[in-house]
Amino acid sequence: MATNTQQAEQRELMMLQQYLKDYGQQAGIFVEQLNLLENGRMEAFAAIEALEAMLAAEENTVLLQIGGGASVRAKVLEPDKILIAIGAEVIVERTNKDAVEFLKERIMEMEASQKRVSETLDKLRGQMNEINKRLESGYQQSMAGPQVEE
Amino acid sequence: MFGGLRERLQAARNQLSSSIGAVVAPPAAEPVITPLTPAAGSTEPAQPASPSFVDKVKVLVLERELIVSDKNIAQALSELELTLLESDVALPVTDAIIVNIRKNLVGKHRKIGESVDAMVVRALKTALLDVLGKGFDLKEYITTRPRPVKILFTGVNGTGKTTSIAKIGSYLHKQGFSVVIGAGDTYRAGAIEQIAVHAERIGIKIIQHKEGADPSAVLFDTVQYAISHKIDVVLADTAGRFHTKSNLMNQLEKIKRVMKPDLVVYVDEAVAGNDAVIRAAEFDRTVGADAIVLTKADMDSRGGAAISITHTIGKPLMFLGVGQGYDDIIPFDPVGVVDELLDGAA
Repeated sequence: MATNTQQAEQRELMMLQQYLKDYGQQAGIFVEQLNLLENGRMEAFAAIEALEAMLAAEENTVLLQIGGGASVRAKVLEPDKILIAIGAEVIVERTNKDAVEFLKERIMEMEASQKRVSETLDKLRGQMNEINKRLESGYQQSMAGPQVEE
Repeated sequence: MFGGLRERLQAARNQLSSSIGAVVAPPAAEPVITPLTPAAGSTEPAQPASPSFVDKVKVLVLERELIVSDKNIAQALSELELTLLESDVALPVTDAIIVNIRKNLVGKHRKIGESVDAMVVRALKTALLDVLGKGFDLKEYITTRPRPVKILFTGVNGTGKTTSIAKIGSYLHKQGFSVVIGAGDTYRAGAIEQIAVHAERIGIKIIQHKEGADPSAVLFDTVQYAISHKIDVVLADTAGRFHTKSNLMNQLEKIKRVMKPDLVVYVDEAVAGNDAVIRAAEFDRTVGADAIVLTKADMDSRGGAAISITHTIGKPLMFLGVGQGYDDIIPFDPVGVVDELLDGAA
């Protein structure tokens, strides 16, 4: 009987380890999503900065990065006509101010999404902590040796 | 779910209503109703200034009737078009919605007693329902098919395919169907253990081979098991793949030839927006898809994929994944979704 109990305990521990692995994989996906959202948010901030600077720049001259750390001075012909991807692979022309507004809205949306993903991630981590505790107590019990049944 | 889209549609609805409302002639002055009771000290009852029947008809029918012209709503529809595109609703779907709304509003007479808002909501609902299709009642499908009903799940990597299979398994189990899962993802490390744990948790039999085994063989065995044990439904997991990987797509073709699925279900995540729609179309073109499951709908603020996918690929949306638990999957109900988007408006 004691052997059966031990086997059951071992089996439960293995199950818990698998749960933990499963939750860990899910958490990894959510972390990846958070990173994507953060990158998108930072990109949008950079775009806003560039759009605003473009209007303020003298003679509409900006530094255009061409890769490898190299840049050229480029003159923007129409700094108030911005082509912006609004979604569904559609690009529309907006004024500089409207494009900035659009990007600000997108940032707010991304922040809301980040909040939701973070909440889910927190929940997952909470569940992982619970599983960890159960695993730990399971290991301690198994280390204490087989239980004698009366 | 789809909170951003709901807000945007609410704004579009208000704009359409106010555009139409702005062209309504100011209401005719209410007829003065004189009390029928005789005035104090008067011997004769005062005559009420009652409008004639013709006047009533004129006021109630003609002057309060509204015929919407294209010009009245052109600006609002243009705004709505941008709103939908910003929500990642595919361009052809956006066009279809706008055309439908225009058809349902322009030249229409407002019903007596119907508010402008109700008229707009009706047009929006009709247009959205038209692109959302009728959904897919899996329970009814299984009931009407010879057993076992074999369902093959496909899709790209990391979209929640395996978890969705477990959720659907749990859903079907609770509906009273016997289910067996085939661990056909023999490619991804840990995929077999993952689905095995799910199956054990929800009390469903799983057929599995070793990692790296031929998925066609696993799924063939699963179907054989289902036949011999009179199981109602086979849920076949497969490795995630991109449609551009021809060797993996050929493998999927082989799986289809071997297990002869009744349904091929494409799984993708709602948060992928228009990308999910494009990928679904590509999968449908290469290996075919009969229905769609969109995961992570609870995290999708825009709703673009859910709105676009059925109209774009012509296949129904079957389930929406809305959380981490096994019960967090809901059969796609177009009417419910549209009601929720339009704030429960009638």
